[in-house]
Amino acid sequence: MIGGRRPLHGRKVGDRRVHVERPHSAYFRYTGPGMLTAKEAASAPTPRGRAVEHVRRLLFGRRLSNAEEELERLPKKLALPIFSSDAISSSAYATEETLRVLVLAGAGALLVSIEVAAAITILLTVVSLSYRQVCRAYPSGGGAYVVARENLGAAFGLIAAAALLIDYVMTVAVSTASAVSQVYSVVPAVYDVRIEIALLSIAAITLANLRGLREAGLIFASPTYLFVGLALLMIGLGVVRIAGGEAQATPLPENLVPLGTEPLGVLLLLRAFASGSVALTGVEAIANGVPAFKPPEAKNAANTMLGMAILLGVLFIGITVVADGFGIRPTVEGGQTVVAMVAAAVFGDGSPLFVAFQAATALILFLAVNTSFNAFPRLAAILAQDGYVPRQFAFRGDRLAFSWGIVMLATVAGGLLVIFGGETHALIPLYSVGVFVCFTLSQTGMVRHWFTVREPGWWWRAILNAIGGVLTFVVLLVVASVKFSAGAWLVVVLIPIEVGVFLFIHRQYRASRTQLALRPDQVIEPPRRAQRVVIPVNRIDRAAVQAVNVGRTLSDDVRAVVVTESREEAEQARERWERQIPGVPLVVVESPYRAITGPVIAYLDVLDQAWPPDKEAPITFIVLPEYVPRHWWERILYNQVTAQLRRALVGRPNTVVTSVPYRREEADAFRLREGPGEA
Amino acid sequence: MAEKPVPAFRRAVVALSGGPSDERILRLVLELARPTHAEIVAAHVVEIDWTQPLDANVAEMNEEAQSVLDRAEARAEHAGVKIESVLVQARDVGAAIVDEAVERAADLLVLGLPYRTRFGGDFAIGRTVPYVLKNAPCAVWVAREPMPEEQRP
Repeated sequence: MIGGRRPLHGRKVGDRRVHVERPHSAYFRYTGPGMLTAKEAASAPTPRGRAVEHVRRLLFGRRLSNAEEELERLPKKLALPIFSSDAISSSAYATEETLRVLVLAGAGALLVSIEVAAAITILLTVVSLSYRQVCRAYPSGGGAYVVARENLGAAFGLIAAAALLIDYVMTVAVSTASAVSQVYSVVPAVYDVRIEIALLSIAAITLANLRGLREAGLIFASPTYLFVGLALLMIGLGVVRIAGGEAQATPLPENLVPLGTEPLGVLLLLRAFASGSVALTGVEAIANGVPAFKPPEAKNAANTMLGMAILLGVLFIGITVVADGFGIRPTVEGGQTVVAMVAAAVFGDGSPLFVAFQAATALILFLAVNTSFNAFPRLAAILAQDGYVPRQFAFRGDRLAFSWGIVMLATVAGGLLVIFGGETHALIPLYSVGVFVCFTLSQTGMVRHWFTVREPGWWWRAILNAIGGVLTFVVLLVVASVKFSAGAWLVVVLIPIEVGVFLFIHRQYRASRTQLALRPDQVIEPPRRAQRVVIPVNRIDRAAVQAVNVGRTLSDDVRAVVVTESREEAEQARERWERQIPGVPLVVVESPYRAITGPVIAYLDVLDQAWPPDKEAPITFIVLPEYVPRHWWERILYNQVTAQLRRALVGRPNTVVTSVPYRREEADAFRLREGPGEA
Repeated sequence: MAEKPVPAFRRAVVALSGGPSDERILRLVLELARPTHAEIVAAHVVEIDWTQPLDANVAEMNEEAQSVLDRAEARAEHAGVKIESVLVQARDVGAAIVDEAVERAADLLVLGLPYRTRFGGDFAIGRTVPYVLKNAPCAVWVAREPMPEEQRP
């Protein structure tokens, strides 16, 4: 092969041909005139890169190209479990949260739990009917951020985004804690290692998401439908047993929370209502994911929303009714959950159906976490595109997943679990505030939307959203006030801080964009500025010579600077330099205080001051000779002063800092050619 | 027991001209090669006239010639079929294609043929296809483009 072309003979004399090498083809592909597209191999072109790539591939799977992103459209029967696992799973702990408050007022107050559940179900009905409107109005996916930003302005959009991000983090923390509590309801020994299990499960789902876990239908459909089926069976059997008078004979665990003596006042009822309203968390997921539905997307999403709301309402009321009928009240920390006690009472403690129900409950709660793992990184990516969070959040990793968002979510949620000791009810007060902020803002945004578009039937849609908005705002006030001291204050403080950070980042990005912007009509001419080269050298050697050679290609005004401690050394250096590199002046800076970086910078300042003030300042190229070590451990032996200089000079006005690497292979080749040098 | 599909070919050389027929013949060959794991060699020949030496630097820096094979590689990658691509400079396209097929012991050679007419309306088959049909030792498939609407009887 000569010059990339290999001559070949044909079968007949004269039929010669030439194979042409395609040097780009290993790493690139021509996709248009002057346009190359990198292949997967280009991501790891070096041997070390390929070794790292091999490990990455084992952990995260092979890299996916943008073209491989498939938009999987979901039929309703798959979309329901995928988008509703978060909402439906909250029925597993909502009843318990209500009872934990009511038990403070004694046994009589527990009877009110059904009325509280009914009130929450009415709220659920209004919220889901309102969100059906969001599905229809925003078929491209109407998260609270988009609805609030477009209808109420950027500030409200950011409040919604901040609340949503908190909501997603809380979903991960609460669902994981609750899932683990279902496990230790069956195996009490697990209680001692609950945090470890919770963190492991978060790590597993993080890894799965970094691998680009698609919301694979079957993974989600089976546990959700299993949970719904078993829960409905449990409620049905429970109601039959209550009607048959069998409920009183059922034994309950001994570690129940003692009955309180507080009066059953409005405040306690409101607290119970606020605690139980966690049942509504996750309701908005369908409205966020409308584009994932099969066409007609909006209609299918709206109908799925209805189905989800009916299921959630039935499960919540049903579990509360059965718990009430069996006289179940929460246990102290580490005991069975209310839903486990209901299952034990109905199916029989330790029976196969009880174990199956607990397994399904734990599984749906673990999977509910994934709703957040899909939504949080997407919202963070949208915010990054809008310039409110660092741009890294919009970068997609090798598996098309927003890796930064996924890791951030897992880290914060894991941290919360550790701080709150993995207890579900310790985390709940932080949960509802963010959710209701989102509900209120999106409903209010929708009212504004209907007034703007005024399409047929707009007025009744606006009324529906207005009722939803007012109701959720009232609940927000209730939740924030009654749970303020229990932890809701943290969210109330966090939201403005988050918004402040968003605005700060946005201002930074906007300022830098303005500084870097070019007018569209501007035509850039070749520069006419003078250039000069300064080469800080340690001594005269081949690395310095290579840097001088590079410097000479940049400008005729080249000088080397050596900083030395003794005059004698300086004179020797100058004599040798002038003899061996004539034509390039060497400036010797004597540094009796032994500093190196400071005198170099001071010398550059002096050069700048000496430049005629009537002329435009020149561009100064600082060319740093750099010896490239062969092994990683050699790095600490070389280039420390160079690194210091680079750090000190980067960002200096009118200055370009560049390194000229000198490899040991080049030194070896030079020595072979020219003989050994003199140190 | 289900019988294994009989492969239509084990190794095929697909001659790509850079025209619209490339897409058609590639689709066909990739579909047939996938189940049987047959080998495919995509060849694009750049004809060098007698004013230049045969090994002149023509195709290497020619984006258009390179992109013909790049497109084929992309299609094969998408279809999950392994493909080898080869860029050739020759005086005569037909002879180069046949020589490639012989050298690689291919059992099939596939070419596309645009529907062109001479002045007067007669169908023009060109030089390459008759040469290949006459000289290739292996099977030859020629996929002709459909006749343009306005020329249909």
